[in-house]
Amino acid sequence: MDIFTIGLWIITLGLLIFSFIKDKGKTLISLKKALSMGRGMILSVLAVIFAIGFILAVFPAETIAAYIESQNAVLATVVAAAIGTITLIPAFIAFPLIQTLLKAGVGIMPAVAFLTTLTMVGVATLPLERRTFGTKFTLVRNGLSFVFAIVIALIMGVIL
Amino acid sequence: MKVMKRLKENMFLVVVILVYLIMLIFRPGLSVQGIRNSGYYIKEMIMILPVVFILTALLDTWVPKEVILKYLGSGSKWMGALLSFVFGSISAGPIYAAFPFCTMLRKKGASIQNIVIILSSWAVLKIPMLLNEMKFLGPTFMALRWVLTVISIIIFSGIMGKIIKEKDMIENEPQVMKGVSVNQDACMGCRACVRNYPELFAMDGKKAFANQNYQDLNMEQLKHAMEGCPVKAISYNEDSV
Repeated sequence: MDIFTIGLWIITLGLLIFSFIKDKGKTLISLKKALSMGRGMILSVLAVIFAIGFILAVFPAETIAAYIESQNAVLATVVAAAIGTITLIPAFIAFPLIQTLLKAGVGIMPAVAFLTTLTMVGVATLPLERRTFGTKFTLVRNGLSFVFAIVIALIMGVIL
Repeated sequence: MKVMKRLKENMFLVVVILVYLIMLIFRPGLSVQGIRNSGYYIKEMIMILPVVFILTALLDTWVPKEVILKYLGSGSKWMGALLSFVFGSISAGPIYAAFPFCTMLRKKGASIQNIVIILSSWAVLKIPMLLNEMKFLGPTFMALRWVLTVISIIIFSGIMGKIIKEKDMIENEPQVMKGVSVNQDACMGCRACVRNYPELFAMDGKKAFANQNYQDLNMEQLKHAMEGCPVKAISYNEDSV
């Protein structure tokens, strides 16, 4: 567990104890709410997780790197961004992967585009997001994030 | 019928399970590797989701609507944006962990722009992520990406605030029904209302509904049920009764 997750747990447990001292009834209602939030999401989240697991099994990091490498810079950036949207990869796997990409000579632009869409745009989480925020919000957010991922990548490519 | 309905509600899960089963027959190695890959994410989910849910529920209970409206509402200007960046940056876990948190904020009056800032910075500007980035890709890379990303998020959250209207946020606006109604799109079948007011609410498969023939409405109890609904799906329309 990283320090931030631990911190979040400590803060939350502290608040929980404080809340319990202040009002037992309200606290119990809150916990019930938390539980029903979990029940409402658990199946969708499991579906997302197993979908990501499968996608990574079909396209391991090396395959992705090899494929992006073989394109020219701008095309590679768009392709990298597109591949990044398919799945959500936690940063701790993403950074070593991006380091590999950079070392393999992929270039900074595709690497940045990949990193941004990887975490911000998720096709696998679309159904979940749609249910939470509505279709229009979901499509616009993911669409704009994709466009800006490429813009950020291009600017970084020019500067670095 | 009930089974069909449940399947339809979890279509994505059904598809994923089918893919695994089919691959188990043709390429067993892939399915096994997929499950192995999923293990990490499940661990991540178990570590982060409960705490996000509890924190969200606690804030929902204790932070009044006025406070959220003041600090994160459409009138909050740059202060709200700054707060949203801070919220997103000190978070942990994948972006979907932010969904219930943002739903709660939105129901309490946070603006769409600020919700987008929280979601986006939760995804790409988390401090743990930045630390990792610095380690692997160097401080210059990290700092430049941070600056560009913050600028991008400010621009596109502004765009989203303009083009997404409050009514777009909920699928199929609930029809205004007379008396008590449960928004079927928001309801997630937690049964809180059935527990709080069993005479009025009942379950129809995975969703709750209000018995329209029910006569002696107890306002106290109804209010309790409405407040107890975690997704605030229960509405009461006085005029048309």
